[in-house]
Order: sequence, then C-alpha cells, then structure tokens
Amino acid sequence: MSLTLLRLAAALYVAATAGYLVYFARPRHLLAARIGAWFLAGAFVVHTASMGLGCKEVGGLEFFSLRGGFSLTGWTVAVMYLLVQRFYHLPAVGAFVTPLVLLILAPTLVGEGHQAEVAKETLQNPALTFHIFTAAAGVALFAIAFGVALMYVLQEREVKGKKFGALFSRLPPLQSLDTLTQRLVRLGFVIFTVALLLGAFTAKAVWKSAWSWDPQQITSLVIWLFYGALVQVRHAGWHGRRFALLTMAGFALVVVTRVGVRAVPGLTIHSGSYSNTPAAGPGGTP
Amino acid sequence: MSRRQLFLVGLSHKSAPIEVRERVALTGDELRAALSDLKAMQGVEEAFVVSTCNRVEVFVQSEALDPARLFFTSRTEQAEEHLYVKEGPEAVRHLFRVASSLDSMVVGEQQILGQVKEAYGLASGVQAAGGFMSRLCNRAFATAKRVRTETDIGKGATSMSQVAVDLVEKIFGDLKGRAILLVGAGKMGALSAKALKVLGADTILVTNRSPERGRQLAEQVGGTFHPWEELPRLLVQATVVIVSTGAPTFVLTAAMIKAAMKLRRHRDLCLIDLAVPRNVDPACADLDNVYGYDVDDMQKVVSANHEARRGEAVRAEAIIEAEVQAFTQEREARAALPVLATLRQRAEKIARAEAERTLSAVGGKLDEKGRRSVEAMAQAIVNKLLHGPTSRLKEAAAAGDTSLPGAAAALFGLDEQEQSSRASRGREGNGTARAAASPENHT
Repeated sequence: MSLTLLRLAAALYVAATAGYLVYFARPRHLLAARIGAWFLAGAFVVHTASMGLGCKEVGGLEFFSLRGGFSLTGWTVAVMYLLVQRFYHLPAVGAFVTPLVLLILAPTLVGEGHQAEVAKETLQNPALTFHIFTAAAGVALFAIAFGVALMYVLQEREVKGKKFGALFSRLPPLQSLDTLTQRLVRLGFVIFTVALLLGAFTAKAVWKSAWSWDPQQITSLVIWLFYGALVQVRHAGWHGRRFALLTMAGFALVVVTRVGVRAVPGLTIHSGSYSNTPAAGPGGTP
Repeated sequence: MSRRQLFLVGLSHKSAPIEVRERVALTGDELRAALSDLKAMQGVEEAFVVSTCNRVEVFVQSEALDPARLFFTSRTEQAEEHLYVKEGPEAVRHLFRVASSLDSMVVGEQQILGQVKEAYGLASGVQAAGGFMSRLCNRAFATAKRVRTETDIGKGATSMSQVAVDLVEKIFGDLKGRAILLVGAGKMGALSAKALKVLGADTILVTNRSPERGRQLAEQVGGTFHPWEELPRLLVQATVVIVSTGAPTFVLTAAMIKAAMKLRRHRDLCLIDLAVPRNVDPACADLDNVYGYDVDDMQKVVSANHEARRGEAVRAEAIIEAEVQAFTQEREARAALPVLATLRQRAEKIARAEAERTLSAVGGKLDEKGRRSVEAMAQAIVNKLLHGPTSRLKEAAAAGDTSLPGAAAALFGLDEQEQSSRASRGREGNGTARAAASPENHT
C-alpha cells in the first residue's frame, strides 16, 4: 500500500516537473510554474501519507533501508523547496530542483527493498527520529543548493561569455542565484551540524559510544568539514563561480559517499542491524 | 442597393520620405476638421485616420476610395506617387498589422497601439467613426493584445542603453543601494546611465577630465561630480562603470581593475565600454567577478533581438490572419442576418393571418384544442419551409458568400426598409438580435 502511494506521489512529482519545465521553456506561461507548484504540494502530501503508512507497516524500519533513505531525502527536498519557493520568487529554480527530486526517488519505486532489524526501544528514541529528519533536511538543502549553483554556473557562462542565448533570458540574475546558494549552504550546514550532534547522542545511547569509526560517521564528518569550510570561505569574500562550483562539488561528495556507503551491504551499521554491538554483521535479511 | 466597403489609402515610412509625410500629417483640431470634411463627402459612411510621424492612413467606409485619396492630394500633389491603396479584407489586415506593430520601423514597439487607439478616439469624438469602425478598431486592439501576449514580439532590447539595462539586470538583479560610475562625457554614456536608473540605483558618480563639462554632465544625469584623480577610489565604490570618453587609448587598464577588485573584496563589477576606440582594456573582462562589455557586444544583442522579433513576427502574422478571417466572416454573417430575420417575420405574419382566417371561418365548430392545432399547423409549415433556406443562408454567410442573401431578398421580395425596421425592433427585443442592428452592405 505504501509503495502504491509512493508511486502515485512519483507520478505527481513527474507532473510537477513537467509544469516547471514547460515554464522554463516558455517563460511567458507563468501559469505552468503555478500548476507545477500545486502538483508538487500534492505530491508532497501523498508522499507523506505513503511514508506514514510505511511506518505503520514495518515500524520505523522504513528509514533504515537504502530505499527508505532515498524516499525520505526526496521528501525533504520537496518540502524544503516548497519553503524556498515561499520566500524567493524564482520559479525557474523549480525546473532544476524537481528533476532532482525525481532522480532521488527513482530507485525507491522498484521494490520493497531490504528491511533492517532494529530494536524497538532504539526506534522509540526521540533523538534518533530527530537525527534522521535533520540529516535528511541538511542533505535536502545541499541538494537544492546544488541545483541553484548549477543555474549560477550556466548563467555565468552566458553573461561572461557574452552568449545571451535562450538560457540568458530564462535564468534569474547572477546575484540572486549567488545569494540563494549561500543561504542554502549556510542553513544546510547548521541543520547538518545539529544532525551530527544528535547522531552522536543516539550512538552514545545505543552503541555506548558516540564515535565508532563507522564509514557513515566518517563520511558525514568529511561532508560536515567540507561545508564548514565553504561557509568560512564565503565569509572571506569568496563568491560567484568559484563558490558555485564548490557547492556543486559538495553535493557530489554527499551523493557519492551516501550511496557508496549504503550500497555495499554491511559496510555501515547505519543501514544494517541495530544491535548493541557495532560489528553485528551484514544487515538486510530479516 | 448602394455598395459600400472599407478602403484604405495611406503612406508610411516604407513608401514616402519624411518631406512628404510631414505635409500630410495632422494632429488635434486640424485632424478633427479633416475628419468632419471626410465624413461629409458624398458616399462616405464612416472615416478614421491614423496620423503619426511614421504614417498617415485614411480608412473610409464608403462607395469609392476617391474621398480618401483626396485627403492626401488636396494637401500635397507629391503624395500621389507614394500612396498605397487597399480595400476590403486587405485593408482590415493592414490595420491589424499596424496596430500589432508589425508594420513599424522597430517591429514590436509599444507606442503604435496607443496611437491607433487615440486616432480612433478622435474619430469617434467627431462622429466620423460609427458602428463599423468601432467593431473594426476594437478587433484591431484585441488582435494587437493577442499578438503581444501570445508572441515575444515586444521582447528583447532594441537600443544600446536598453541592452545595458538588461545586462546589468541579469548580473545584479537590481541596483538598489549601489552606485553607477559614469566616466567621460559621451552622449551614449549619459543615456545609458539615465536608463539604468530604472533598476533603482540611487547614486550616480560622474568623472571627466575636464571639470566644467563633468559638472554639466553630473547635473544633466542627476549625479555628483568627482575630479578625475579620484578615479581609482570611484572604481571601488561603484558597481556599474560606464565609460565613454574621446580618449584614443585605454582609460581603464587591467592593472587598475585588478587593484580595484582587491580593494572591493572582489565584489562583482560591471564595465560597459561605449567608446570607439575602446576605453577599457578587454583583458579586464577575463578577471574573476568582472563583467566587461564593449559596443560590439551590445550591438550583437541588438541585432539578435531584431532577428528574434522578426521570427516572432511570423507567428504574429498567423494570429492576424486568423483574426482577419474571423472579422470578415462575422461581418458577412451579420449581412445575412437581416435578410433571415425579415424572411421569418414575413412568413410568420402570413401564417398567423391565414390561421386566423381559417379559425374565423370554422371557429364555432372547434374546441380550444382544435384551435391550437390549427395554429400549430400553420407555424409548423413555416418552420419546415424555412428550415432549408435558413441553414443555407447561414452557411453561405459563414463561407463568405454574400450574393445569396441578396438573392434571397430579391426572390422573396423583401425590401431594405423592412429589413432595417425589423432589425431595430430586434435590438430592443433581445440581445441576440443585436447582431442585426446595423445593416451594412458589403460586396
């Protein structure tokens, strides 16, 4: 049932993407972007219902599989973009973010995925719940920042290279994109920091150690350091193309490490069995 | 039956030099008087004149085009060889194209629609334009609006200063709280600086080698003058720098800009070089966060936009074609309606009379139901008999065939007077009959 709903949500995401893309191709039709936004909101609601049902069917386990992780990330990108849209009137951004949501969700549509063994009392730990959601929100903001940074790089090429082609008129002003990227990175970094602290807190409670050299912990720290550095160099005056490229690199790092760590079964205890001993062997088979 | 139709006689920037145009162009009271004269001429039903600096065009709904031609030839004999003449749908198409700015010097410019609207207002003010011109012009305005909203014909800057605004807008979004620096006293520079004000720049800094000329310029563009020696400092303060001096060498060198960028903490800087020979070293544009443009770059945008507008014009022509068709068809259907209405009225009158005669002869032998049957039978005969002609007439009208309504009128012996009296009654009666309100005669 949850999978059916997820597929329905995906269909709505496709419609939303189509709306934003039509607007991008024909900027005269602002209505297309509006319709896209409504579809996105609808998709988000259905997606939420699907996740709620998923939780009911398999307990909080939903979020511990690769599939659940993708679904949650797609969901947070959607809600974060809906919020961004609320505060910044840049409908062109939708044409870059909604395809990203589709990409993130694509792997979740194929099947049930594996299920992890997690102790009930672990699942009921509120710190863990917050850890999961803040981590996803941080990644979602990095994802949107990636989309906006890509727009910046494309627009900068038009403006600086004196091309003034179709993209030039369709993409927003450079400075708007630059400012938005910076804010997304900064907010993403703050939320990601909270996620890491909550993660350490949970680990301390469940695994008896806040830091256990788990591959996901290590890669998360690397990501955190990268974005931390990004926030710092921005303060030092770095902006524009260089900042946009770094932002894109940051998200590439997120994707590679996240997918890499999770795709190898048993590499990380984050996706596997949550018993009290970190080295509990490969997870995935109930 | 007199036959009136729409004629257009005119000349424009495409057909006539300015010396001829200025002799026939009229405004205000002169134009009002000319319109009244036109209207008063033999055979002229309605008249309407578009008179701008680029065109003078006389539209008349009349039996012949001579009154419109006379409008020009009476003012200057030279006009004769520059005149173009169009009639019927051709004239309609021309007006739609003019209103949609397809015939303008700068295709897609915005002003012409306002000028046509003004011209119509003037003509209807002196009662020269009536029902037909009103429908024609309103259709033209609606067409122009469609063209503007459904195509990008008005998009893209077509002047240098407008291109500068577009460029700066794409870099900075707006210029609120930022400064524009104007270097040198070139005319294009001042124009661009003024145009950039729409982006909300609140400071315009002006510098020039000669202080007197610089002060003058500062006053002219609403900025403050700063001595030439302060240029390095000004480069740090400004966001957009417009350079147009008469100097034969680079006024802004890459080294100067490099130094300024360091002091600006690499905040974005836009350099617009409007001078020929160039005043800004092209190497400046290669620096990070520096956006540099010269006259050639801007001219390229202007030509690209002209090209794009021409492309959009093709799509606009299709819209205009459809509107001309719709307008002509509507007009012809309108011509058939009075005939239909009269025919039906005549037939129903006969049916009623005959039914009454029958009833008064045999009335006593019939009950209420029987009476109603007789009346219904008379009505049914009328309906059945007229069904064919009605649909045939409507079809013919929609297809643009105007001879059939005339033939029907002749065949059934419906004279014009009856048609118009029926029509004006219909107008009071209900909304749908309004279409028949004004009997026009068309070819």
